[in-house]
Amino acid sequence: MSIGSVNLEQCLKCNLCTLVCPMMEVNPDYPGPKKAGPDGERYRLKDPAFFDYALKYCLNCKRCEVACPSDVHIGDMIQSARIKYGSQAKKKGLRSLRDWTLASTDLVGSISSPVAPIVNGVLALRPVKAVMDGVLAVDRHRTFPKYSRQKFVSWFRRQDQSAFDRFVTYFHGCYVNYNYPDLGKDFVRLMNAAGYGVHLLEKEKCCGVALMSNGFADKARRQGAVNLASMRKAVSAGEQVLTTSSTCTFTMRDEYPDVLGLDNSAVRDSLMLATKWLYTKLSSGEIHLKFRKDFRMKVAYHTACHMQKMGWQIYSIALLQMIPGLELTVLDQNCCGIAGTFGFKKENYGYSQAIGAKLFADVEASGADVVATDCETCKWQIEMSTGKTVLNPVEILAEAVEF
Amino acid sequence: MKFDVVVIGGGWAGRTVADRLAGAGLRVCVVSEGLSLAAVHDESPYSCLAGLQKKGVTVLRGDRALQGRADADKVTGLVTRNLGPDTMLEAGAFVLATGKFFSRGLLSDMNHIWEPVFGADVAYDADRTKWADPEFSSHQPFMDFGVRTDEAGHVLVSGRPVMNLYAAGEILAAGSKEFDTDSFIEEYEHRIG
Amino acid sequence: MQKEYDVIIIGGGITGAATLRDCALRGLSCLLVERGDICDGASGRNHGLLHSGARYAVTDREGAEECIRENRILRRIASNCVEPTEGLFISLPEDGLDYQANFIEKCREAGIEAEPIEPAEALRMEPAINPRIIGAVKVPDAAVDPFRLVDANILDARRHGADILKFTAVASLVKENGRVVGVRTSRGDVIRAKEVVLAAGIWTAGLAREAGVNIGMMPSKGSLIIFGHRVANHVINRCRKPANADILVPGDVVSVLGTTSDKVPIESCDDMHATPQEVELLLREGEQLVPSLAHTRIIRAYAGVRPLVVAEPAGDGRNVSRGIVLLDHETRDGVPGLITITGGKLTTARLMAEMATDLVCRKLGSTARCETATRCLPGSEGRKPGFMDPFNIRAAIGRHGEEVSRMDFDNGGEIVCECEHVTRAEIEYAVKEFGVRNVSDLRRHTRIGMGTCQGSFCIKKVAKVLAGELGVVPEGLVHDYLQERWKGMTPVLWGDTLREAEYMQKVNRDEI
Repeated sequence: MSIGSVNLEQCLKCNLCTLVCPMMEVNPDYPGPKKAGPDGERYRLKDPAFFDYALKYCLNCKRCEVACPSDVHIGDMIQSARIKYGSQAKKKGLRSLRDWTLASTDLVGSISSPVAPIVNGVLALRPVKAVMDGVLAVDRHRTFPKYSRQKFVSWFRRQDQSAFDRFVTYFHGCYVNYNYPDLGKDFVRLMNAAGYGVHLLEKEKCCGVALMSNGFADKARRQGAVNLASMRKAVSAGEQVLTTSSTCTFTMRDEYPDVLGLDNSAVRDSLMLATKWLYTKLSSGEIHLKFRKDFRMKVAYHTACHMQKMGWQIYSIALLQMIPGLELTVLDQNCCGIAGTFGFKKENYGYSQAIGAKLFADVEASGADVVATDCETCKWQIEMSTGKTVLNPVEILAEAVEF
Repeated sequence: MKFDVVVIGGGWAGRTVADRLAGAGLRVCVVSEGLSLAAVHDESPYSCLAGLQKKGVTVLRGDRALQGRADADKVTGLVTRNLGPDTMLEAGAFVLATGKFFSRGLLSDMNHIWEPVFGADVAYDADRTKWADPEFSSHQPFMDFGVRTDEAGHVLVSGRPVMNLYAAGEILAAGSKEFDTDSFIEEYEHRIG
Repeated sequence: MQKEYDVIIIGGGITGAATLRDCALRGLSCLLVERGDICDGASGRNHGLLHSGARYAVTDREGAEECIRENRILRRIASNCVEPTEGLFISLPEDGLDYQANFIEKCREAGIEAEPIEPAEALRMEPAINPRIIGAVKVPDAAVDPFRLVDANILDARRHGADILKFTAVASLVKENGRVVGVRTSRGDVIRAKEVVLAAGIWTAGLAREAGVNIGMMPSKGSLIIFGHRVANHVINRCRKPANADILVPGDVVSVLGTTSDKVPIESCDDMHATPQEVELLLREGEQLVPSLAHTRIIRAYAGVRPLVVAEPAGDGRNVSRGIVLLDHETRDGVPGLITITGGKLTTARLMAEMATDLVCRKLGSTARCETATRCLPGSEGRKPGFMDPFNIRAAIGRHGEEVSRMDFDNGGEIVCECEHVTRAEIEYAVKEFGVRNVSDLRRHTRIGMGTCQGSFCIKKVAKVLAGELGVVPEGLVHDYLQERWKGMTPVLWGDTLREAEYMQKVNRDEI
């Protein structure tokens, strides 16, 4: 049994969660976290017929959990309910094909990468977008993240790390591997500059966040088990497992045990974002980085929702503040609205953009050259909706460091 | 991470203290697990905490103070759920502003009431049947329960004052002494000259 | 001159309501008089357990047989009131398995399906039960919502011509020439009837004494605890000689643990509450059934009174049916026109009503046959909530079945009580169909304010809606209700209940 269904009773019905739910604000069909979570759970325990289809609107942003004074796992409860009861509600056919396509980030990635220029070109074509809009119900406004010609792991295999005597293990995630190897390359350069070699996990699978939110929990659980087995090996070899995606990290640290029922206790404390690791080691003087003198950048930091849930933005922010020549504005924590694959779905596009509007306005008003965030899906959304370049703090750090 | 003062609790009491300290130039961290009921009166749920952030206060939203670390008569650090033991919050002083039962500043079972972060001494009636008044609208005895301090406002743990631990707001027992922000700032300014 | 009824029934609990229905279905002109709201006595303060009879199989064969017969009838005629959860009788190492062997045999003799289940299988069926079990027996126990069952009887009776006079106490029975000919209400009105049936539970004795009839009653207090959600989906019993706190019933969206059993003075019956000592005892024993109860949120504790009757002198045992007590005061005491029906159980109330109505009909010379065992109660035609129903009305369908067709969700579909999903349309229906004075009355017909927040969050909204319906000011409604809830919360005021109490205090004193 997941934690979600056991702590519903700590809910005192104070309704503070409903004040912060971004979906409630824009969508009257969404009952909100209290009703969808602990209220609904009492009824679902009685009879699955009390499952509400409107739970599909939950972004799983966990802002309700951050706001809850009673530590109720509201978001987990909603996720678990969707997994447990949602299949009865799921429409068969093309929508499922769409969901499957969006959810299978690694499989679709590995099919697309070798033919990336063609795929990117095709995905960008207007008629193709119209077909995807009409048949697959992927909104035509969306730009698919471009697939990279060379996968990160192919590049990494040619990097000699044998000169190091200290190592970290890198969980690169699908996005770095298929779409954005440059971030992974920056990570490796930084680690090497700090005196650490990089290993990859023996086997890495997609963390499963997209599978879970699209109702493919069993597959997510299988992939999670593979990741955890590899992480246990790395951790027992004395290495910490670092990441550059807040969502993958959050999923593997918290959703694995709370929603999928996977035991990650042996690796949880050793699994962290690179920015936390870097800040901790830099501030304790354990590692040193030499910064460029001519670096100048105006940066606005956006705290991704899962980053806020982990509470780790203070590390990314402190790290950015260490960079000479970097002028930092921290944006108010608002949801960008994309919520992983949610915003890609045609029926959700309007909600997605309405939710993100506050953030987009803040970004525009910040006057920053660049937006920094630890989440790749926030990056797509902010880039599409504001025209600003969005970078991971690791990339910014790599640019500021003199190698 | 080092601060001048760590305030535990982001409700009325905690935010007032943090605001004054930050205004006087102190480095302040607020650990705010969940929104406070006070947020219903704010312009937007986080406007108050965001305002503190703009004044330079580090606000740990949705984080929980797990355990205070102490040596002799002083608190040396605080471990939170999200930051873990690797990032202990260190400060010259700590202010407990976690409220009463609703906000879980005080926890209870059938026979005991305790303060979970520092194990501070709690004033309450040992007879559970006296915790409440049978009339709903009467003054409720449990609303007087809370942590004890000495006359200078130091929170008592096992009967002894902890010299850099204070309390503010509803967590205090009736008759205990509220954290005196003004004297604290005065003393701080005097110390740094 | 005022009309003379065939029958006046005193007492608006399940016995009175079922008797009213039976009389109405047999074409008698009948009136029910209740001093408060219906279901405001022991009928609203019990376990909500639809006995299979298994609990009585070893000690009371006849009672067990009555239970299983009535259990099968109620599943059919009151489907919206009954949740066919099934029950498990679990044996712990300290209970041994000897009792279980005898128990199964006695159940079967009484016609109760009793299927032994391997411990591993029982834990799979019901993961919440104590993993130390050494045996389990599955029986057809079920949960029954007493409020709904009384309401359904009242509705059906009224739709067959019965009258109901609520919030009206009977001051005395009116006697002429030694015969009871009617009742005098506390307002001084005299209402005449050919027969008067006393169905007032523990309060029967006092009324009877007025008419010179002595009924020896022994009030037995039973305290219970409500937990915030369904901890288990079966009724859980201990497979041993019946004792304190050994039944847990999943009722709607909560779980009810009980009960204690203590003789109390009759004067105390008007203000029953669970004591802290009873709560401690209940929890200690309840944890043996379901260990997670040790840390499950308690909503409140409450107490009811069983109307037990002192055994009748030998020779007059014909009317004493092991628990069910039907007294013909014409033959017993020489007071014609007066009948008492008492004792019994929630499960057997329909049978009690049938017995009482049979006697009434004999007295009145009617040959009408009882139909209550075969005709469905309102709301029980089989409509169940499903995925296709709009979410805001699913809980109402679960509670009221096809009665929801009388609720105007188009204009009142918004949820007012969020814990229990009560809409404004349901409130309006309850006001119209049952007549209420305050939020506590409304609660009995809708589950409003019965959820985990006990009204903290929504009471002002509820009071506003109700005040609009009743044409009164909402403030008094709020205070009365919270005071009533407070009574149930104070015996269990620690942990999350204490947290909720602080919230309830602050919200309703505008201290946030």
